Amino acid sequence: MTNSIREIRDADCIFITGSNTAESHPVIGYEVVRAARRGANVIIVDPRRIPLVEHATLFLQIKPGSDIYVFLAIMHTIIREGWEDRPFIDRRTEGYDALAAVLEEYTPEHASLMSGVPVEQIEAAARIYALGKRVAGASIYADGASGTGERGHSTILYAMGITQRSNGTDMVMTLANLAMLCGQLGKPSTGVNPLRGQSNVQGACDVGCLVDVLPGYQRVTDAEKREAIARAWDVERLPGEVGLTIVEAMHAAAEGRVRAMYVMGENPMMSDPDTSHVERTLRGLDLLVVQDIFPSETAQLAHVILPAAASLEKDGTVTNTERRVQMIQPVIAAPGESRPDWQITGELAARFDARMGIERRPGYWDFASSSAIFDELARVTPIYRGMSYGRLAGAGLQWPCPDASHPGTPILHGETFSRGRGRFNPVIARDPAELPDDDYPLMLTTGRVLYHYHSGTMTRRSEPLDWREPGGAVEIHPDDAAAIDLRDGAPVVVASRRGRVRARAQISERVPPGTVFLAFHWREAPANMLTHDFALDPVAKIPEYKVCAVRLENPRAGLADRLRRSEGAAFRTSSR
Amino acid sequence: MIELTIDGRAFHVPPGVSVMDAARANGIDIPHLCYHPELSTPGGCRLCLVEVEGRADPVPSCQLPCAEGMAVRTQSEQLSAMRREIIDLFVSDHPLDCVICDKAGACLLQKYAYEYGVSETSYDKHIARSLYQDDNPFFVRDHQYCILCGRCVRVCEEVVGASAIEIVGRGFDSHVATPFDGPMIDSSCVFCGSCVQVCPTAALMPRSRLGQGREWDLERVETICGYCGVGCQIEYALRDGRILYAQSTPGAPVNGEFLCSKGRYGWDFATHPDRLARPLIRRDVAYRLGLTDEPWELPDESPLDTGEGVIEERFVPVDWDTALHVAADGLARTVQAHGPDAVMGLSSARCTNEENYLFQKFMRAGIGTNNLDHCARL
Ligand code: SF4
Ligand code: SF4
Ligand code: SF4
Ligand code: FES
Repeated sequence: MTNSIREIRDADCIFITGSNTAESHPVIGYEVVRAARRGANVIIVDPRRIPLVEHATLFLQIKPGSDIYVFLAIMHTIIREGWEDRPFIDRRTEGYDALAAVLEEYTPEHASLMSGVPVEQIEAAARIYALGKRVAGASIYADGASGTGERGHSTILYAMGITQRSNGTDMVMTLANLAMLCGQLGKPSTGVNPLRGQSNVQGACDVGCLVDVLPGYQRVTDAEKREAIARAWDVERLPGEVGLTIVEAMHAAAEGRVRAMYVMGENPMMSDPDTSHVERTLRGLDLLVVQDIFPSETAQLAHVILPAAASLEKDGTVTNTERRVQMIQPVIAAPGESRPDWQITGELAARFDARMGIERRPGYWDFASSSAIFDELARVTPIYRGMSYGRLAGAGLQWPCPDASHPGTPILHGETFSRGRGRFNPVIARDPAELPDDDYPLMLTTGRVLYHYHSGTMTRRSEPLDWREPGGAVEIHPDDAAAIDLRDGAPVVVASRRGRVRARAQISERVPPGTVFLAFHWREAPANMLTHDFALDPVAKIPEYKVCAVRLENPRAGLADRLRRSEGAAFRTSSR
Repeated sequence: MIELTIDGRAFHVPPGVSVMDAARANGIDIPHLCYHPELSTPGGCRLCLVEVEGRADPVPSCQLPCAEGMAVRTQSEQLSAMRREIIDLFVSDHPLDCVICDKAGACLLQKYAYEYGVSETSYDKHIARSLYQDDNPFFVRDHQYCILCGRCVRVCEEVVGASAIEIVGRGFDSHVATPFDGPMIDSSCVFCGSCVQVCPTAALMPRSRLGQGREWDLERVETICGYCGVGCQIEYALRDGRILYAQSTPGAPVNGEFLCSKGRYGWDFATHPDRLARPLIRRDVAYRLGLTDEPWELPDESPLDTGEGVIEERFVPVDWDTALHVAADGLARTVQAHGPDAVMGLSSARCTNEENYLFQKFMRAGIGTNNLDHCARL
């Protein structure tokens, strides 16, 4: 996030898209509820009637995958009406003219046609967001619309609904363009705020668990930075080519180019697209080492399973979605012989080196404590450099924190952008890679529910949580249900070109006609049997989970009916 | 800024702040039951009465905005008598079974009864509400302890946005309820437990702690929630190394006193019997290494379809030394035969920064590849 979580409650306008905030990030949802109750406008752009819609002033219910048209039309309207922030654009940005030129053709009328959202709603959203309008009450900001200025503070919140798309990088750039266009950046309660999913997904990225960057987002292709880290690690050279992402590695493994995988605390069998392909690939590996707290679906295919301590059982630091590095403490004892992951990885690395005949100085892999690892991490990670366990106790620190006296950074891009001027990157609209057709006439969108978490390895083993939400249900609009004589609660089969999943039908107007929703926590209804990985975002390499084409089948319908419905389709399935 | 005096000390506060908040901000604690700093203050309990110079009657401080030149007293003979009277009334409708109450030590009514010396009511004791609701695995609502302060109703509406409960009925009939007094699961409740967190008495209690020990028996450890990226701080209450319940504290930097159902109730997975407690090697590998006598082959059954006992069926437990040896040896063979880029490392967005750092250092400086990912993208 460019800004901090607690600023949300004071925003004048909150623009939420591709985030089911109340269910995926509930405590951020509370911030939105508070802001709404104090008179902020809440605008939601989403295919589903998510719970926060109840607190929204404007709900733009789009067809899945059509949001890009709506965003572009919002910017089109802002420029047409002169609601952009001229002083900000002149002082802080570059590339405005190119953006304006591209936006010209993206009219609200066109967006309305593509998304199903009325023109007036698109124009209202443009006005409210750009000018930071409130419904009621006074802004707490002196420069806000109710104070001396004419522009309130608007913030954008988004999540995987934006990034898990074949054009996810474009989508993120579009939201950044929108914020810059309106000067809604660098001030409290503004910004472009991705809500990161897992507890330490931010930190895992920060410390370099990505194919293209070393700790602190230093590019592996940047020879100077790479050599500096090589020196810090006492190695002659570090690999300088960008590596394979998980989805690419699965393909490479299928072709025999990747032969071994070391998996720490992940469950690609449940979380990666196209489950059957993943299973075949994992089975074919020469070596699969899985280090985890539970015998996950992936672990069941491993050659070696290394038992790890859970986060409740160890110390260390994690970084939340607002870049706050916080310390965790052991609360209970780890079961049996399980150990913290850092000890396991350190031991494994030392043995690997010994086996390869590489000698290292003492303390290279065998750290005495998490704190000692953190000190090394801080030395090679510029954005963490000023942090240490001593300073993190209490409220933690938000990066960048470049030196030991730096107070941390709650708001990014305050005076300047990291590259000087903020650059508008004009984006053109692209449709999802797989659109509905005669055989697969509906759009499937996947996501999470409140009581479960990711692949469910933890929450499904929590009694109270599983009590509340014990099994997978697929949300279907009444019209689509009626078309196959489906009753609420009845079993239904969701089929895509990749596979078939059986689930319980939940007939609901939460989804618009033509769209079905399935969460991916359930092993008995694994949503990712249906999704595809053939259209990765070209930059971020993220699979398009949020949109794919499916068909519904009513297993209780008459046999003749079923045959008639699935005939042509079955043939095409095998031809992919 | 407005200047006023509280108990003879002068304070400067911004306009719009209540006397209650101004006093608390300056370390003066005015007794209160219905007031909660994160919620609206409709008043009601009147325990927070203070004297204001120039006014005949005491005024509830949680509803009194600070004014220029105001002089406030939070303690006096008169106020103590009035507060004693209020507590006396509350106690007439509340079981004083503190000796067996799980909330003892953390209950606000008990605290004020102690401070104002109220050991029993001087009225006829009549406990109007007797309903005991334990219709869900998260929390129980025991109406006889309820003082109708309304905090639970307000937090549910004002912070959580669920509006699952309200105060219904009049007089002795009034109580906190879901629409039509139905079970929680049929209401709009999201089981976040925020109502339990702000309840000043034992009317709302985490189910997991009932009869398990009292405040002074419990040890407390603070850490960060392991579920989502909000990074809420959670305080666990433990006894004999076992978690009894979780809550949060006003000082939590991100979440203050609030959590969601996963953070507040989702910790029991950690002691689930499925937890991996020993290193394991798959049977075919074990056979090749001579650790078992029976040849074996990985069955075709997908992990999505397997049932209980699959781990015992497919794996044999080994010591750490053997497991690490097999893993390290396998990685070394792969690198020697096919080069470092034949290895893929998948780290975890649920592990710590230190663990992820060490993991990527191993992949890059040890193995020598940038094939390194975690489920940020997924
Ligand atoms: S658990 Fe949460 S949603 Fe349910 S009644 Fe309490 S505050 Fe409301
Ligand atoms: S249940 Fe607790 S918080 Fe709710 S009204 Fe009763 S005493 Fe107050
Ligand atoms: S308590 Fe809920 S919102 Fe907070 S970090 Fe945990 S899962 Fe996220
Ligand atoms: S605390 Fe002020 S009236 Fe209850």
